[in-house]
Amino acid sequence: MRVSYDWLLEYIDPGMSAGELAEKFTLTGIEVGAVERFGPDLPGVVVGQVKATEPHPGKNNLTLVETDTGSQLLSIVCGAKNMQVGDKVVAALPGSQLPGPRRIEETKIYGVPSAGMLCSAQELGLDLGSEDEILILDSSAVVGDPAFKTLGFDDFILHLELTPNRADCLGLIGVAHEVAALTGRQVKLPPMKLEESETAVEEVMKIDVADTELCPRYTVRAIIEVMIDKAPLWMQLRLLKAGIRPISNVVDITNYVMWEFGQPLHAFDLQLLKNSEIVVRRALQDEKLVTLDGIERKLDSEALVIADGETPVGLAGVMGGEETEITGSTNAVLIEAANFNPTNVRRTARRYNLPSEASQRFEKGVNPEAAIWAQDRTAFLLGKHAGGKVLKGIIDKNACSLEPKRIEVSPERINKILGHVVPETEIAVIFSRLGFAVEKKADSLMEVTVPLRRADLTLEEDIVEEVARLHGYDKIPVTLPSGELQGNRESENERFKNLVRSMFIAAGYYECITYSFINPQNFMQLRLPADDCRRKAVPVQNPFSEEQAVMRTTILPGLLKVMQHNLSHRELNQMLFEIGSVYEPESLPLESLPLEKTKLTLAVTGLIPEPNWIVPAQKADFFTLKGVLETLFNRLQIFDVEYTPKAMPFSHPSRCAVINVGGEELGFLGQLHPEVAEEWEIDQQVAVCEIDLDLLNKITDLVPKVATLPRYPAAKRDLAVVVSRDISALQLEDAIREAGGGLVSQVKLFDLYAGKQIPEGKRSLAYSITFRRDEGTLTDAEVNKAQENIEKTLFDLGAVLRS
Amino acid sequence: MLTKLRELESEARSSIGAAGSLEELKEVRVKVLGKKGALTTLLRSLGDVAPEERPVIGKKANILREELEEAFKMKEQALRDVQKEGQWEKERIDVSLPGRPVQLGQKHPLTMILDEIKEIFIGLGFQVAHGPDIETDYYNFEALNIPAEHPARDMQDSYYITEQYLLRTHTSPVQIRTMERMAPHLPVRIIAPGKVFRRDDDATHSPMFHQVEGLAVDNDISFADLKGTLLLFVREMFGSDQKIRLRPSFFPFTEPSAEVDISCIMCAGKGCRVCSDTGWLEILGAGMVHPRVLEGSGYNPREVTGFAFGMGVERIAMLKYGIGDLRLFFSNDLRFLKQFG
Repeated sequence: MRVSYDWLLEYIDPGMSAGELAEKFTLTGIEVGAVERFGPDLPGVVVGQVKATEPHPGKNNLTLVETDTGSQLLSIVCGAKNMQVGDKVVAALPGSQLPGPRRIEETKIYGVPSAGMLCSAQELGLDLGSEDEILILDSSAVVGDPAFKTLGFDDFILHLELTPNRADCLGLIGVAHEVAALTGRQVKLPPMKLEESETAVEEVMKIDVADTELCPRYTVRAIIEVMIDKAPLWMQLRLLKAGIRPISNVVDITNYVMWEFGQPLHAFDLQLLKNSEIVVRRALQDEKLVTLDGIERKLDSEALVIADGETPVGLAGVMGGEETEITGSTNAVLIEAANFNPTNVRRTARRYNLPSEASQRFEKGVNPEAAIWAQDRTAFLLGKHAGGKVLKGIIDKNACSLEPKRIEVSPERINKILGHVVPETEIAVIFSRLGFAVEKKADSLMEVTVPLRRADLTLEEDIVEEVARLHGYDKIPVTLPSGELQGNRESENERFKNLVRSMFIAAGYYECITYSFINPQNFMQLRLPADDCRRKAVPVQNPFSEEQAVMRTTILPGLLKVMQHNLSHRELNQMLFEIGSVYEPESLPLESLPLEKTKLTLAVTGLIPEPNWIVPAQKADFFTLKGVLETLFNRLQIFDVEYTPKAMPFSHPSRCAVINVGGEELGFLGQLHPEVAEEWEIDQQVAVCEIDLDLLNKITDLVPKVATLPRYPAAKRDLAVVVSRDISALQLEDAIREAGGGLVSQVKLFDLYAGKQIPEGKRSLAYSITFRRDEGTLTDAEVNKAQENIEKTLFDLGAVLRS
Repeated sequence: MLTKLRELESEARSSIGAAGSLEELKEVRVKVLGKKGALTTLLRSLGDVAPEERPVIGKKANILREELEEAFKMKEQALRDVQKEGQWEKERIDVSLPGRPVQLGQKHPLTMILDEIKEIFIGLGFQVAHGPDIETDYYNFEALNIPAEHPARDMQDSYYITEQYLLRTHTSPVQIRTMERMAPHLPVRIIAPGKVFRRDDDATHSPMFHQVEGLAVDNDISFADLKGTLLLFVREMFGSDQKIRLRPSFFPFTEPSAEVDISCIMCAGKGCRVCSDTGWLEILGAGMVHPRVLEGSGYNPREVTGFAFGMGVERIAMLKYGIGDLRLFFSNDLRFLKQFG
């Protein structure tokens, strides 16, 4: 809402400057986004009066205008024709400055000297009139005055950013009431006392409201013998300050009154309304209406229309129709001031994409009282500035209650909610400034009667806020809640996530946060078959783009996109992880909330560590991720982890495994299929892993279990074997442990070799084996026996010992 | 006798100093500390001293022996180092070379801020609660006193799944879920961090972002308690000289409501580009829990009161770390992430 400070002064004097008022508004609940001066200073531009005109001797479309500027008579050459002797005009004297910026100097135009320029409205920066007409000022302008004063350029516009509850401030009189609440000063209403003609409005118009739910109040007045012209300049300037483009006196007056009372108005050309009647009804299916913007709209019963005896002539509360619009030849008008259902107006305005000052007011709710005030004020102004005769009376079809709301409130309640005592005398002052009538009841209870304009106040708590904001939020003290203590440690689930997160960070991984929605195209890029459960994703009904079309069932595409982004910035070595939710619906379309599972996803590529002079760097691969997972599982004391070779649709066919713990599948780990990597424009080896963190949490005991330290020394033996590639390391390790007969406490692979000196299809593995017994020291003989047993078992697996 | 001791000491020290090789040093040692060395010889003549002086002289002689032992040891080390000088030179390193790399990753900056927020409120006795990202219309709107035709429910602003389900547009539904779970137990003191979603996608809006909701319900929770809690939070987060300013505002689920500003952290309240010359930065919305919200969640608004607040995590992170572009958080650009550790 744009509030001209100067215009506001008509209804109340705040007793402070525009800047101070803005600050006060902001601190009491109406945020002022900006305070802006209406126009520049225009040095050297003054009010002049046309004293005489004569044609330019050399150029017949130019005129020499003898202009009185108060201190001197100047001859100014002018291209416009619309001035008459006696008109007050705006003269830019030599040396003056116009917006643009443009400097005016004394010049010769076709041989005739011109001492300045007469200005059009547009040259002054005003969106009025046309380029080839100079601005004619109201006759009250004082010759010689600086133009910026006469035009009100020194006025300030306050941009109120109203919260949806403060529809009462969508009119200047409502704003004035707010100023009254802040200052205790009085609101003055504008003049609206009318002279009406003998003829009653009922004689020229019949009104029928067929849908009182969508149109609870509909009022009309008729004004005849109007002269369509421009509105007075002061009114046009005020409309410009409000951000409304002036059109003609009748239309400008309806807009002017809307800005005063917050009540939208519409003017019809009375004589163009067929059958001399108005019917407010829902539109018929496929009924058509050409709106004021010249566009033909196809309607249906969702839309409320204003119709005459035959066809719709306006979209209720949104936009009038072209057919009955006010034109230069209009000489009788019907003024509508109505109250329409906010929801219906909102829907209609949205549907036809026609937001307007009127629809915005109806959407937020218009005070039903305002219709009559606005009618009288409009008729008054039409009588004064459009020469109209106002027919007697108003046709008022009203289904609104005009009974103000009564709310009970107690000072104790106010003090309890605020944690602060506002003296009862101050509460009384606040209520009186707000215009509340107060009736004292028993037990210091008060019943306040709230003016209809404040429809936002319905509960005691609303009254508490009024007291608090006018008392001043800054006066309320600062305390902390007291009360019982409660356990407030983070949940085990969260602590688990924090533990996992900190472990990966310590291992060199960067945490990422990617969007929870993904592009369904990603499923194809990942080669997921139609029956893959990850394809069963929750679709978003109204995404901006395909990138947001489904809720993710895997974090993988998110991390691959991050990897792609970073590769494009030459970050070749990346260790990334994300801990986040995936969404698994039970059924589609959704009938219950989907399961939100926490996943841990890892993605690595490039050289680890970053190439350096001292530690060898290796290409990130399957084992990079397996190593960090093993570290995680060790930290969580989970030892029964199985890695079973199994390809994922998107993995390298022979470098991928599923991870099982205690028979439950935790997730997978593998290298990305190079062609899948290419889908994300990644041309280097990538390893990825995704595990179910909720499941891992379930099988983890966060409290570490501690065993007593071994009391007897261990013996270590190394063993190297050459064995077929078909025998897995796990098989060998299991065999060693089993053959060791309970004496083997640790088996560590310290070398793996295939190549020269090793037969094709075989490889050499070297283990360091630790033998230990819980009770008693092992003898050499015992260890030797165990070792022999191990060697024999491995021999049975086809292994050959290397010395 | 004391004079002799002193003479012995100074002679011995100058001989140690003069020794040019380990062999020479060994000879000096024999001469001074050996079985027939000067000190032993001197001590043998202790019998000539008056009996009452003997313990004094004996003690001094023992101290001298220890000191000389030390001096011999140090001279010996110095002579050995000199001997190996060539070897040390061969082993010289360039200390300006970088060390063996230790790669540390880093928390996402939003996790850092969330952790900080949680830490502050846990210290104030708040529990951390969570709610689902996909919500029902009831929890996201209706229970929060946002009726069916409220403009905030517009399709334009929310990502819908079906008519009934949507991506939550704020963390406020967790208020309702928590109260439903806890009613009629008091007190309720929670914060609820999480992801939220709005249909906005431009330079200053992200379709997904993070909020932290706060809720306190008890017999006597007041607006003053809300002010105190927020002031303490702001000072812990942005520094102990921070000021806050509460301005009346409107949210459907609180009454009275407030927008909360902090003194601009860029200019300390003097006015700058960041705060549009106001000296204040808006960082969160807050208020007293609306009676209809309390009632719908199982608490009697005549008996209990509550406050609630909601803050944008990205906004706080941007202010705290001086980040200018919201989109950096979700691009996960390593050049950005690596600046945090």
